[in-house]
Amino acid sequence: MTSLLDFHGVSFAYEGRTIFSGVNFTLPRGECVALIGPNGIGKTTLLRLAAGLLPCSAGRVLLGQRDVNTLRRMEVARLVAMVSQRVEVPFEFTVEQIIEQGRTPYLGLFGGLRPSDRQAIERAIDMTDVGYLRHRIFNQLSGGERQRVKIALGLAQEPNLLLLDEPTQNLDIGRQLELLDLIGNLNANGVTILAAMHDLPLIEGNFSSVLLLSPNQPLLQGSPSSVLKPKILERAFNCSPRQQPVLVKSDLLKDAAI
Amino acid sequence: MEAVIPEKTTAAHSGEKIGSQHIGIVVAMLLGILLAVILCSIAMGAVRVPIQAMLGAWLNQQPLSREQHAILFQIRLPRILAAALVGAALSAAGLLFQGLFRNPLADPYVIGSSGGAVLGACVGMFVLPQLSVFGFSATALLAFAGSLLTIVLVYRLARVGGRTSVVTLLLAGFAVSTMLSYSSYFLEVLDEDYGTGMRVLASWLRGVIGIPRWGQLAVIAVMFLIAFAFCLPIARRLNTLALGDEYAQQLGLNVERVHISIIVVGSLLTAAAVALGGLISFVGLIVPHLARMVMGPDHFRLLPVTAIAGAIFLVVTDTLARTILAPSEMPVGVLMAFIGGPFFLYLLRRTRREYAL
Repeated sequence: MTSLLDFHGVSFAYEGRTIFSGVNFTLPRGECVALIGPNGIGKTTLLRLAAGLLPCSAGRVLLGQRDVNTLRRMEVARLVAMVSQRVEVPFEFTVEQIIEQGRTPYLGLFGGLRPSDRQAIERAIDMTDVGYLRHRIFNQLSGGERQRVKIALGLAQEPNLLLLDEPTQNLDIGRQLELLDLIGNLNANGVTILAAMHDLPLIEGNFSSVLLLSPNQPLLQGSPSSVLKPKILERAFNCSPRQQPVLVKSDLLKDAAI
Repeated sequence: MEAVIPEKTTAAHSGEKIGSQHIGIVVAMLLGILLAVILCSIAMGAVRVPIQAMLGAWLNQQPLSREQHAILFQIRLPRILAAALVGAALSAAGLLFQGLFRNPLADPYVIGSSGGAVLGACVGMFVLPQLSVFGFSATALLAFAGSLLTIVLVYRLARVGGRTSVVTLLLAGFAVSTMLSYSSYFLEVLDEDYGTGMRVLASWLRGVIGIPRWGQLAVIAVMFLIAFAFCLPIARRLNTLALGDEYAQQLGLNVERVHISIIVVGSLLTAAAVALGGLISFVGLIVPHLARMVMGPDHFRLLPVTAIAGAIFLVVTDTLARTILAPSEMPVGVLMAFIGGPFFLYLLRRTRREYAL
């Protein structure tokens, strides 16, 4: 198994305040990983570091064995796509026009979209099922629709690794399940995924492994059933095991989903 | 998976306002309109020169009278071409600044870059009148420097964490504009050649499109064309920038570098416009907005349409300005303030409701 993303002793400080330090992990190709941790621990920061959007203060971030800081921005954008939580578009772009922006890292200064770019855009639209929204104005979409379009934008970059920042946030339960279905389908189609997740009950059955960032502890990496244990979560999230919902059902139910 | 059965759209671009395949037709149509408007405008004025006489002179070599010839080639044509250049430059600059600030209210006048250009030009006129670069007066160059400095200042002030709120943008632009216009009055005191400089300054502040010499017109036209050539690669980048700084960076853009190139090119366009017409407000606001309503927000298609439509718009308004109160003339800047002010207020109301930026 080749690794797509490696953190080697990565530290990050912002305005003199250390967000985290000495983070090590490896993300093998084909995985679907949930990144969890309490609010403010730096989940989004970790994703930004992985996407090369922030420079780390110490250590190295490797994308397929190459240091992200030595790559040109355009090269990074062909390897990693990040789906941020917020996007505000001041003009009335259609969904298709938004997704076309995913080809930016492949276009020259003067070139337009080539047939290969069109194909990538169509593939992204198919994979996320947003064809019927193609000509709608992006700003007028519902939260769930927007989330799918943002993922299509990321897929149009044809990245090796897709980073999702809280993809299920602000969605109702139906849209959350739809989105998890989509994530599962993408992963089944060979897209490696690292998603910062807030809703712990959604993790088991939908992600192949979990990264837990917790205060004053080294990063913990493991299968959902090994990480989502009441004792571990108590330390990380500072909440008593008795108040936690049952997060790992495999102990109760025989068949583990997927 | 999807509960809703996707409704298949058969027409390739049904939801878009004007399909990309029609952009050539739209541009050709607009160029035709521009030509027609210029011809009509030449015919109009205190002395009427009928279009038949002009066409006759061109097609059948029937010479115009000397008076007609002088009016056409020394007075009207230079002025009309100047109006076309000013309109195209201001509209294109407006489009660039709206993309830069991600705000449909940005306009070279509103954000103070026109004012900066006037101040720069004044420094050239009052303080360094003997300075020249390659034989040209340094006025246009200093106008460029003034515009550039102002936008850099407004950009620094108004952008907080990659976002520009309407209120800060307008207030920063207002403060800078006010400082600049009053500094222009201060410079009058330094006027050695009492009278000439003051008259030029007065016409700049009112937005009068003067009657340029052909050489002057050529210099500004070259300046405009260079700037416009740089706009073309920038236009695609503006679409990506519309998604916000983080997305633009994520998609592989060096956001700082793109912003700097927009500021430089936008300042060049503003300076070109100010050198010919002084402070003309709101053109860069109205024209891109109308173009966006027809063409949709894709900047690559908007750019040529906005520039040509801007030229048409200003040729028409300048012709109105010089004929409406004939025999006296009104500065086109005054007319634009009458038209643009209410339009700006309408846009402000709409923007605050729709974009909540």
